Amino acid sequence: MKQRHIFGDVLALLGYALLRRRAGRQVTASERSERPRLEAYYVGVLVAFAAFLVAWTAWQNQREHESAARPPVRVDVSSFLWCWAFSYPQAPERRTVSGSCRGDDLPTLVVPTGHPVQLRLTSRDVIHSLWVPHLRYKMDAFPHHVNTFTLTLDREGRWMGKCAEFCGQRHRTMHFWIKAVSPEEYDKWLQGQQGAAV
Amino acid sequence: MTVAPPTEKSDIGGRPVPPSGWLGWVTSTDHKRIGLLTAGTSFVLFVGMGTLALTMRAQLAQPEQELVSSHLYNQLFTIHGSGMIYLVFTPFALGMGVYLVPLQIGAPGIAMARLTLLGYWFYALGAAVMLAGFATPLRAHADGWFSYPPMADSVHSPGTGTDLWIAGVFLATTGTIIMGWTVLRKRTYGMTMLRLPVFSWSMIVSCLMVIGAFPALLAALGLLAVGRADPSMFDQNVWNIGYQHLFWFYGHPVVYVMFFPYLAAVAEVLAVFSGRRFFGYKGTVLSLLVFAALSMSVWGHHMFATGQATNDYYSLTSIALLVPAGVEYFAMVGTILGGRLRLAPPMLFALAFIPQFLIGGLTGIMVGTPVIDYHVTDSYFVVAHLHYVLFAGSAFGLFGAVYFWFPKVTGVMLGHRLGRLRFWLLVLGTNVTFLPMFALGYLGMPRRISSYASFEGFGWLNLLSSIGAAFLAAAMTVFAVNVLWTLRKRTLGSAEKAPDDPWGGHTLEWATSSPPPRLNFTPDHPVPPVTSFAPLLDLRQKQKEETAADRSRP
Repeated sequence: MKQRHIFGDVLALLGYALLRRRAGRQVTASERSERPRLEAYYVGVLVAFAAFLVAWTAWQNQREHESAARPPVRVDVSSFLWCWAFSYPQAPERRTVSGSCRGDDLPTLVVPTGHPVQLRLTSRDVIHSLWVPHLRYKMDAFPHHVNTFTLTLDREGRWMGKCAEFCGQRHRTMHFWIKAVSPEEYDKWLQGQQGAAV
Repeated sequence: MTVAPPTEKSDIGGRPVPPSGWLGWVTSTDHKRIGLLTAGTSFVLFVGMGTLALTMRAQLAQPEQELVSSHLYNQLFTIHGSGMIYLVFTPFALGMGVYLVPLQIGAPGIAMARLTLLGYWFYALGAAVMLAGFATPLRAHADGWFSYPPMADSVHSPGTGTDLWIAGVFLATTGTIIMGWTVLRKRTYGMTMLRLPVFSWSMIVSCLMVIGAFPALLAALGLLAVGRADPSMFDQNVWNIGYQHLFWFYGHPVVYVMFFPYLAAVAEVLAVFSGRRFFGYKGTVLSLLVFAALSMSVWGHHMFATGQATNDYYSLTSIALLVPAGVEYFAMVGTILGGRLRLAPPMLFALAFIPQFLIGGLTGIMVGTPVIDYHVTDSYFVVAHLHYVLFAGSAFGLFGAVYFWFPKVTGVMLGHRLGRLRFWLLVLGTNVTFLPMFALGYLGMPRRISSYASFEGFGWLNLLSSIGAAFLAAAMTVFAVNVLWTLRKRTLGSAEKAPDDPWGGHTLEWATSSPPPRLNFTPDHPVPPVTSFAPLLDLRQKQKEETAADRSRP
């Protein structure tokens, strides 16, 4: 990371100054008050670095929002005080999974691996935020507004998701599970067959 | 204050004798008294808000603890955050400006002194109103310092506490706007713009931001107040997201208002204790102005996760900030590299500021980058980042400034040994408290949770952080003892008297007596010729050259 280099450089200069420029070492203070040319070069380097970062970030943003080639699996996520509800509009019979988020009663969001999954995120009351730390991603859930994002999980597993936007009393236990299963198992589960998922 | 002999009465314009005691303090139009009142009030609040933070660290030290209820915990972080930002760091910065800027530019007082005093009253009243929330039946406001609707509306946050919070923040912010306006209007004689000391420049820039951005907070609070009267307003997304835009239009510049004056105090300390002129003055002044201008265009980077901000634009402007920030670091590091360093307490704080603030700044670039921000926003990573900026950065600048200007303000020296002890306790406490929070956030601990389950594995990092907080408490105790003891000794007359210029200062405030007289400069202590942004240094160099020339003469 660039950050670590910058931090290391400043620390090294600071250490040098502390070791070599202490008053006890009989140094005399410089009378020079500026070095405009050096500073100009330095600003040039900074600007170039900033330009690089801007370009890189814009590229990453682009990638983040690239729409998938295949039609995504759609899940409607609704948040409320203080739990989550996941509906699957593509299921033969509309399916909704919810819970109370008390104790072990956490709802599970089931998604197929290898498929883009489009989450349509909204809230029934205040602002919440869906965060899956494992996926390094979060998105706010607003009332009277739908936020959409697409994610693809590559391997099977189960991870915990949380609410990241403060929403009062039981904000801290507003968790859910996200479970990635193979596409076949997902289809079975969507048909409502036993033995699959949750 | 010295009592003026009757012959000098004409100097104060033959006005009636001002009241003495506390009434004299709260009605004085002396900018030094208003400045001290503001700084003193915010310091008392600082201790109070710090105590709230210690309670939170105690609650989080172990998983599944129930030291405080979750409702009380929500009040604690709300008042801690609101208090530190609205009532401590912003007013303290402006208080320093009210005290120092007239002295630094050789003026006898502040422009519009009565208005400045009114600003202080608004601020003090606002603080009292906000804290009064604890005395209401449903207790204080509990929705965080940014209080987004609809969470903060009257349906989801019932009770008078929230109303008092709105009123309190409104009053305190009005007070700071008024103070900012008066500091800005302070014009000088004989001092050109490029001879203003770095600290005075930082105040000008801060006040520009106060005037430009703080009214947006008043608008946001007004919106919230209307919405509390009629909660159906927040059934429209535009008001919810609109509030966030207004809030962060204020919320980003305020960070720099809480940063520039302390950064500039650090710059003055670095130059004085390096025994040389501040390096790259013009670049620094220019970078402050660029910073202020950019600060008003980056607010959306607090809102990436809302899905309703233009990511590319806001990440562009946020990344551009690294250019002026880099220029400031160039100047600070350049100053010490060519200096002759004396490691007195103010210098220790200034030196620690450099790497510690850098951690805050570099992680700031990270959270300003949407791809990283999507993961870490609203997590403990942000808590760590903002505390590195405000505590490891600004607070170190603040304490450096207190040690630096204490002799000037009080006329006595602040104990050096306790100062050093306090410094090391604070460095240790700061880093042990806030460094683990980066890891916690990255591992998935959200902000504003009153407890966490033991299986999540956050236990030992939180414990470490709480142990660090104990060191912070110890450091603050040592500081309080040091200050109170020194002031007590001053009353008894046994404290070490401070000379006019104990550190070999560069700027005009060191040319007058310690503490400065009512009108700052007297015939005994005239304003020296202003030849650059470091007039006293010029004077000393000239004297040195003259004595050298005298000696070379046969």
